[in-house]
Amino acid sequence: MDVGAGERSPAGDAMIEIRIHGRGGQGGVTLAKLIATSRFLQGLSVQAFGLYAAERSGAPIQAFCRYSEDPITNRNLIYEPDHVIVLDPTLVGKVIMAGLKAGGWILINSPQQPDELAEQFPRNRLATVDATTIARDNNLGTRSVPIVNTALAGAVARMLGFPLREVSAALEHLGFKGANLAAAARAYDEVRLLESPRDIGAAAEQATQSSMGRGPSLLEGAGAAMPAIKTGQWASEQPHRQQMIPPCNHICPAGNDVQGFLNALAHKETDKALEVLLRSTPFPSICGRACPAPCMESCNRIEIDGAVNVRQMERYAGDHGQVTIEPLAERDERVAIVGSGPAGLTAAYHLARFGYQVTVFESGPEIGGLLRSGIPEFRLPEKVVAHEIDRILSLGVAVETDHQIDRQTLLNLAREHDAVLVATGLQEQRDLRLGLDGTEAVVQGIDFLDHVHRESVRVDGEDVVVIGGGNTAMDAARSALRLGAESVRVVYRRTRNEMPAIAEEIDETIEEGVAIDYLTQPVALHDDPSDGIRRHYRLACRRMELGEPDESGRRSPVEIPDSDFELACHRVILALGQSPDVSVFPEGTEVREDNQLLGLLETPVFAVGDLATGDGTVAGAIGSGRRSATHIHNVLSGDHVNITEHAEALRDVDIWRDEVIRADAMKLHLFERQPVAEGESLAVAERRSTFDEVHMGLEDTAEASRCLSCGVCNECDYCATYCPEGVLKRVGHRLEFDYSYCKGCGVCVAECPRNVIFMSHL
Amino acid sequence: MSVQVITGNHAAGYALSTAGEANRNARGTACGIYPITPQTEIVEYVAKFPFSKGRVVPVESEHSAMAVSMGASMSGARAFTASSANGLAYMAENIMVTGYYRLPIVMVGVNRTLGPPWNIWADQGDTLMLRDFAWLQFYCENNQEILDTTLLAFRLAEDRRILLPVMTCMDAFIVSHTQMETSLPEQAEVDRYLPDLDLPHRMHQREARTMGGLAWPHEGLSMRLEIDEAMKRVPAVYQECRESFKEVFGRDPGDMTQTFATDDADVVLVVSGTMATTAREVVRKRRAAGEKIGLVKLKMFRPYPEAALREACQSATKLAVLDRNYAAGAGGVFWQDTRAAFQGHRDDLLIQNYLTGLCGGDVTPAVIDDILADIAVREEAGDPVWMGIDTGEETLQ
Repeated sequence: MDVGAGERSPAGDAMIEIRIHGRGGQGGVTLAKLIATSRFLQGLSVQAFGLYAAERSGAPIQAFCRYSEDPITNRNLIYEPDHVIVLDPTLVGKVIMAGLKAGGWILINSPQQPDELAEQFPRNRLATVDATTIARDNNLGTRSVPIVNTALAGAVARMLGFPLREVSAALEHLGFKGANLAAAARAYDEVRLLESPRDIGAAAEQATQSSMGRGPSLLEGAGAAMPAIKTGQWASEQPHRQQMIPPCNHICPAGNDVQGFLNALAHKETDKALEVLLRSTPFPSICGRACPAPCMESCNRIEIDGAVNVRQMERYAGDHGQVTIEPLAERDERVAIVGSGPAGLTAAYHLARFGYQVTVFESGPEIGGLLRSGIPEFRLPEKVVAHEIDRILSLGVAVETDHQIDRQTLLNLAREHDAVLVATGLQEQRDLRLGLDGTEAVVQGIDFLDHVHRESVRVDGEDVVVIGGGNTAMDAARSALRLGAESVRVVYRRTRNEMPAIAEEIDETIEEGVAIDYLTQPVALHDDPSDGIRRHYRLACRRMELGEPDESGRRSPVEIPDSDFELACHRVILALGQSPDVSVFPEGTEVREDNQLLGLLETPVFAVGDLATGDGTVAGAIGSGRRSATHIHNVLSGDHVNITEHAEALRDVDIWRDEVIRADAMKLHLFERQPVAEGESLAVAERRSTFDEVHMGLEDTAEASRCLSCGVCNECDYCATYCPEGVLKRVGHRLEFDYSYCKGCGVCVAECPRNVIFMSHL
Repeated sequence: MSVQVITGNHAAGYALSTAGEANRNARGTACGIYPITPQTEIVEYVAKFPFSKGRVVPVESEHSAMAVSMGASMSGARAFTASSANGLAYMAENIMVTGYYRLPIVMVGVNRTLGPPWNIWADQGDTLMLRDFAWLQFYCENNQEILDTTLLAFRLAEDRRILLPVMTCMDAFIVSHTQMETSLPEQAEVDRYLPDLDLPHRMHQREARTMGGLAWPHEGLSMRLEIDEAMKRVPAVYQECRESFKEVFGRDPGDMTQTFATDDADVVLVVSGTMATTAREVVRKRRAAGEKIGLVKLKMFRPYPEAALREACQSATKLAVLDRNYAAGAGGVFWQDTRAAFQGHRDDLLIQNYLTGLCGGDVTPAVIDDILADIAVREEAGDPVWMGIDTGEETLQ
């Protein structure tokens, strides 16, 4: 009886030896067993075995099969196979040829025709079959790891000249059913055979023989580690470090690196935190008190236990940090800035840092704009404002106060300077024609706060009504309480949800005893007879309800018919917002941040801050000032400074993803709950008699450690700690992946709470 | 009886399980077993076996595995386990206790290199380190032999004249993970071969007593002497068990020592385990070319079959003892006992040791040829020869 239905080994021996090359998980050892079983069922003596080491899924493996009509007397590995089967075409190379007998078959799992591969294997017969497609079509294994062994068993039968039914019998003997039988049958039909070797005499590859030389010494460190199996070659995916944009950084109108300064504070590096802030804003102590903090509204920590108290942390960094700043260069160009509010001063700060000769022109007697006069002492103490303005002036910024600018003087400034920025803010206060306009009955909120600042007003015993829903309204109401008002009401035509004032300030306003009438529209102010001490007024109001959203996205108030009522009062304060005064520009000038004004001049003239944006917040003014300063610098110097660049934050990442990371991309379950640090405030009872600052600020930086550092590595080292292979470590600020040994298990990705590590397919 | 293509591990697992099941009308079976490469398939096999009476107990270590099996055996159950390499080292204390308790436990040892350096491949050093623990030891060369010998081991161990535990050993991967055609007996046949276990010194709930407590020197000596007497009975009892095996299963499980072409041999190879298959084929081919060489396979290592070995080597002038193990500072373990066996009997015999296949090395026909070439020209025995590695000038002196 011949071996395998008419087939003898290429050397004419009665024993056939087959070597199988595959990857862990493809079923190579089972293929060896299938072939052996098919021969065993024909009465032959068989062996099937694998070569086992430290390999796991995906690693190159070898399996062996031998069969003979005589009892097998060989217990060795197969060094000179009669035939070779290759389960994975990526393994085709020298190793599969080692020791292969001339004229033996090479069966490769490949969609290619044998002709296309023939040149590499002149001494051998060649067969190919697309076992991967056959396995996938039969749903064997998964799409990424199809199990190709049963298909190849069918191809082997055809190649070695034994009937398909003998392989089918082996499959059934081993419990394989349906799809596996179908795969074997299809491969039997589809395998392509190239029968004749091209050149039997071509040089043979040497069989692998163990070296007779001496191995390494344990005493010289050899054997102290696992053998150098570069397990990284098994990987189908690799981890990399990325960085995304934290929502706080993305939304901050000032362009602050919020995550960056919180990370410094979390490490108790207060000076570093201030230094990070001063890269973008000259006013951390001010914003730390007066900012509406949209960063806190977008904070991903809300999904766990509340936003990080960023505002208070910025205040802490501004109040406690010690940083000496100096101009970074020295330049000759002169820049004029008209207006000394937060936008103008921020532009002055950054331009001075760039090295320019900066002069600020202010129409009033002191610089600071609304920072000084528009926010009362109990919310933003004068000394805080003075400190931060002094820091700007220390950069060499010149100031000219009491310097009113009109259209002509603006032209003069443009001629005398290399660039001009106009930062005159919102000068025109919106009115409400209630009647009695221009009388002492009605005062604008900004003017009222200016009087408060200059200590030139009292409202003892008065019932005061404030109209509006912004911070000016709240500040005016709270100031009125402190100045002796009998009662203070705020009248607002929408609901609390639509009020533009900072939520915490609304809370404090209510705490202090101010009543708020929501959905109330004042319609007229009537004079009542004086009682001899003061004049009395009646404010006629109408109830409202919310209708469709308007342009600002807020729902518009709609009048409710026949709902009029009256409020008795002694004074009405209007806090309805302001609009810009553009009278210094030629008629029809489009006042935008990026628009060259006074187009006939070569000198760059730009508007900045509220004048250009109408934003109305200090943070927005800071952002505008910084953008404009950078723009001026780029125009004057030809540089290309990128405003969004956070040099420190971008360190050592493989990929910068220009995308905001939202809570659903964070592994929030990995964080422990930790309540928000709110800090202490003055007792409500005390507040009515003092303009002392209400909020005391936080006493330490612990709150900063609540920051989740969304999308930005904060060196928590979970990845390195949990890497089961020990091939991931942090070196300085870098993460080092040893791809020689990284098998791509993805544990680092699973353990990173902040989505800093991602996998790429190889 | 059916023939299937299975691994050596599954062959061993089949023998352990059917043997345990065969005791179902007595105290049943129980064992503790703990996985270690390359023995894990045995654990998987016995853990899935649907025993009618008794169970496999999952444990946390090899030490506990043998403790469970020991307790089961003491209470009259048919107990077994399996381990390998460093697992055996950790189990060692209880292996020794089992021997001195005279408990007829059967353990399959899959011969794997003791680390470090870490290594999962074949080397007999692990079970051979346990050679003095009052266990019988058998080394098998293929799947059928590990199955048959493991079944026989229960019969031998439980014989009233023996009552000692038995280790049946196979080379890691070369047997344990290689699939070959293997004849599997029916349960009814195993039932017939292995009668219910009736352990004379088993523990009963109804009569509390202490076993293995403090013994005075003379008492201890008596118990050691009993073990020696039992060991001396092994060759004769083995032959009975073998004959009975042939009767039940219709197949010879093989002698304790197996000779091949030794009758007029000048040079005899002394081998064990899978090396025997390869060496036998080399001897067969060279015999055909007229060379007077023969082979003795030592299937049984404990007790050492001195008499049978001497008889097999009567015509020989030279013995080449092949050891797939290395007892540090002494050479190969089989070699040491072989030398002792001929001491005072054949002082003219040249007995040379060859260390080969250690740490998973492949003992190929070429290696056997090299050994035969060496011993052919050798005029006197020397230090053990390390095969497959250049030992260098200084160690040759």
